Amino acid sequence: MASLSSRNPFRKLYSWLPIVLLFISVLNEFDFNYLNLDYFSFNFPFILIFFFSLKDFKHFDYFLVFLAGLVNDTVVGLPLGISSLSYCLICIATSYLRNITIRPHIIKDWFYFLFTISLINSISYSVLNLFFSYNLDLVNYVINNFFTFLFYLFFVYIFNHYLKGVND
Amino acid sequence: MASSRDDFIIAIRSAFLKKSTQQKFSLLTLVFLSVFIILLSSLDFRAVRYLKIAINEVVYRSSFLVSIPENFLKDSFMGISDYTTFFKDYNQNKKELSKLKSDAVSSNIIEFENKELKELINDYVSTSNKILAKIIMDHDSPFLKSIIINKGSKDNIKIGTNIYDQSYLVGRVIEVNYKTSRVLLLSDLNSNVPVTIAPQNVQAIITGRGDNIGHIKYMKDGFSNDLNNQSIVYTSGTGAIFKSGIPIGKLKIKEEGSTKKFNVEFYSDFSQLKYVFAEVIIKTAIENTTQNSTNNENSTPIDVKLNILEDELKIVEDTKLKFKQENEELKKKINNLNNDILDLKNNIFLQKEKIEQSDLDKKEIEFLKMNLYYGHKCRRSFFNTKGFTVGSDDYRNCVFNKGRKN
Repeated sequence: MASLSSRNPFRKLYSWLPIVLLFISVLNEFDFNYLNLDYFSFNFPFILIFFFSLKDFKHFDYFLVFLAGLVNDTVVGLPLGISSLSYCLICIATSYLRNITIRPHIIKDWFYFLFTISLINSISYSVLNLFFSYNLDLVNYVINNFFTFLFYLFFVYIFNHYLKGVND
Repeated sequence: MASSRDDFIIAIRSAFLKKSTQQKFSLLTLVFLSVFIILLSSLDFRAVRYLKIAINEVVYRSSFLVSIPENFLKDSFMGISDYTTFFKDYNQNKKELSKLKSDAVSSNIIEFENKELKELINDYVSTSNKILAKIIMDHDSPFLKSIIINKGSKDNIKIGTNIYDQSYLVGRVIEVNYKTSRVLLLSDLNSNVPVTIAPQNVQAIITGRGDNIGHIKYMKDGFSNDLNNQSIVYTSGTGAIFKSGIPIGKLKIKEEGSTKKFNVEFYSDFSQLKYVFAEVIIKTAIENTTQNSTNNENSTPIDVKLNILEDELKIVEDTKLKFKQENEELKKKINNLNNDILDLKNNIFLQKEKIEQSDLDKKEIEFLKMNLYYGHKCRRSFFNTKGFTVGSDDYRNCVFNKGRKN
């Protein structure tokens, strides 16, 4: 019975949902920017990658994350490889956190997430500004960073429910 | 101490190199691959360029498909909000249409004149053909403001092609694929457009700020005082990146304390774009048959030189004639001015005479008045033997002295 349910295509799709969601979000830039809320934007892929790589989720392949980065660069119009590097650095940061943590705590993860995305956004901003001469608004980066940090807890709550569903 | 350092190194090494059973690549490999791709994409190799174009084509189409549900929601939301202001907009549009129709006639005339003049200056005519392009991606990223259109090198789109919303400029093409292109909007921080501010005729450069307002970046000192909120901003054509005379927006002056900030409110709302026009320019050489035939007959260098000299002579004669005409006009003006001066002098002389006469009259009236009072004291008579004969100077003085003889 169990083997039957795992072969179910919907069940399979459900287990691959994080990766599917990652590709949809990078293709669609899922960030509610069309609502024209001033200075409102957040980076959904960062939250998703951080959470699922931290949980070492079975179907969360690093290579697919890398490909999602390439897609994101193409959609946004950034030089190819910048987002891939950012996503891979998030995976490294979470892998390190996983290795050094014995008893995980959501608040610790949350602030570690803030540190990670701040560092990665700084690297991304510096590379684009110094090597590719892009004019970027630093304020937008800071606000994006802040909202991504705020939304982390909300999405963690949803993702935990999803993980519970998958494990059941 | 040593063990904690070892733990750190082990954790780091594990993070970079350890592959889980389900992972095909280690993270270190992927990081190196990312850096390699960044370096490769910054170099302009032909193979890389074609690969990039292929990736772009696939990703843009996929993105368009993935965005369909979101776009449907967005369009529905916009549609509902449009219906609420439908009648008001209709009336406003009706008025604007009648005004635009009249403007279009004069615009056509100017366009025709412009074309004729360009034909005289250049040895080619640039005929522009605006093609309609659909926006397949408009994600309004907070960092980079760009859109993807469904026209590419197949439709003669080139890097730098100007993109319009109706007749207003919205941006230029910065990346061309086979059937798609990326357009950098005027609102992007990396967009710099040389503009003219009319009617003051001030040259400036505007740059994007990330929203629907542009910012005046460079303007020569001292020119800003004449500008007002009614000033119109259009492309100057400097640098040949954009065509000249394309309307962009209206100037908005914001006073912050003692300093003034000059912004440009774009005519086009970049968040509402669905279709745009891409201006494809085709340069065709002018077929001047008469010139060609004469060139064939007199093809020796001396004849060419003679032709040039003849042209020069003609120009010199024309200028001379112009100077003569100007000279005559100036002479006429000088004569007229001299006549005016003479007339004015005569007027002054007449007025002086009148003033003098008036003074005399005043004195005489005064004398007559005093004569009535004191005349009997000064007049010689039987009882007044010390008096003076009427009309004499002594009599006059006596009257002015109120009857006193000395």
